[in-house]
Amino acid sequence: METQWSLVLFTALSGAGAWLIACAGLDAFKGLTKKSIQPAVILGIVLIIVGGIASATHLSHVDRIMAVLAHPAPGIFLEALLLGIDIVVAAVFLILVRREASAAAQKVLAVLAIVMAAVFSYSCGSSYMMASQLAWNTVALPLGYLGTAMATGTALWYGVCAVRGEEAEARKFAAMETLVGAVAAVVLALAYGAVSGVMVGESAVLFWVGVIVCGGIAPLVCGAVGLKNSAAATQLAIVAVVGAFVGSVAYRVLMWTASITLMALFGVSI
Amino acid sequence: MARNCIVVNIDRCTGCFGCEVACKMENSVALGERWSKVLTVGPIGEYPNMVRYALPTMCQQCEDAPCVSVCPTGASYRDSEGVVLVNKEQCIGCKYCMMACPYGVRSWNKAESCVEKCTLCGHLTSQGKLPACVKSCAAAARFYGDLDDPNSDVSKELAKYNESDIHTLQDAGNHPATRYIMTDMIGEWQDRIQPKSHPHTAAYPVVG
Repeated sequence: METQWSLVLFTALSGAGAWLIACAGLDAFKGLTKKSIQPAVILGIVLIIVGGIASATHLSHVDRIMAVLAHPAPGIFLEALLLGIDIVVAAVFLILVRREASAAAQKVLAVLAIVMAAVFSYSCGSSYMMASQLAWNTVALPLGYLGTAMATGTALWYGVCAVRGEEAEARKFAAMETLVGAVAAVVLALAYGAVSGVMVGESAVLFWVGVIVCGGIAPLVCGAVGLKNSAAATQLAIVAVVGAFVGSVAYRVLMWTASITLMALFGVSI
Repeated sequence: MARNCIVVNIDRCTGCFGCEVACKMENSVALGERWSKVLTVGPIGEYPNMVRYALPTMCQQCEDAPCVSVCPTGASYRDSEGVVLVNKEQCIGCKYCMMACPYGVRSWNKAESCVEKCTLCGHLTSQGKLPACVKSCAAAARFYGDLDDPNSDVSKELAKYNESDIHTLQDAGNHPATRYIMTDMIGEWQDRIQPKSHPHTAAYPVVG
């Protein structure tokens, strides 16, 4: 199947944005940063919206998109609904932070943001679980979507903390988050690679180089180094963000190129 | 609800491609696209134990149609007669249904930027006529009707054969309604096949 770039960019960008907001939410509990939460949430919202716009470019009749509301069903409707909820949660969290609302209220929204990041990034992949697609019909696929989005979002948070000049302790914790996100990406992508068989054969190079090395090992190493060396946080974060995003895109491209239809009787490929 | 579908008697099919042509003519299917396609399965095996047969394919009118359940707008739907159809005016062109179809029998209409497929010639059957592919079949190998109606053409044809001679394409939980009749006169039925490559019509069983 041909790579559907609109959908690749949608889930890679929006997923990263959701996890960036989740990291900002986590900081509502830790209280380590002073200047990063607001720009991170704004950047996260922007990424989610840009991703949503990218997904719309996949449609040939965007003018009929409101018909989606008349037929709530898994897939596009659920993704659109979760995307909207995540933006609302992020916006309310941002308002609470800006108005210095009570810590309890901020924490409630922070928890919602973290839960939404996991649910949204997972649901973007679960839409593709179809009995007709042999390489997609496994729970490992959406878990890989979750893991790679988490790696990109946590690396972005590390980058925001570094650029905003947060103190060493905050940068080190952001490096730890990047490390955890990268481990999630590696473990969950490996699970999908093993279950679907894409870790060997024609897709092996894209899987090992693109997904595992760029998307997992690179941010993992950056996070590990950042735990001890907070002075190089900006450089490490840039490498982690680029690597994680490349890996996230590679994972999604891999899904399309590895598609095996039960029976493609007409020889038609989308 | 009725289970209207096509039944193909492969024992009778000559592989003349007449149904394909009739479908394209009746429904003005675009050049390069098909709503109905005849595949030639095989040859498989070693002489003298070989099998080769023509397999006409089209929308299988699945009972649990995945194309209907994934459609975000309801453009893919089942009508009051139980026929799976596409309302092209509601199609947003997301192509989810094309991904979800286990048999890849949906077509992309480039001119209208939407998905389309076999309609069982509803514009003809609603007037008591037969679908174009059934009417044009020179070998009288195609039948149309309701599987649940014992007096329908499909039920009467299926009743002539043993259960072991009646087949469907591989079922991935979607329960295809279309039945294929093939006895050991032709050879062993292959329930999962793949075309060699587009646009060739040769198809072979999937190994493993």
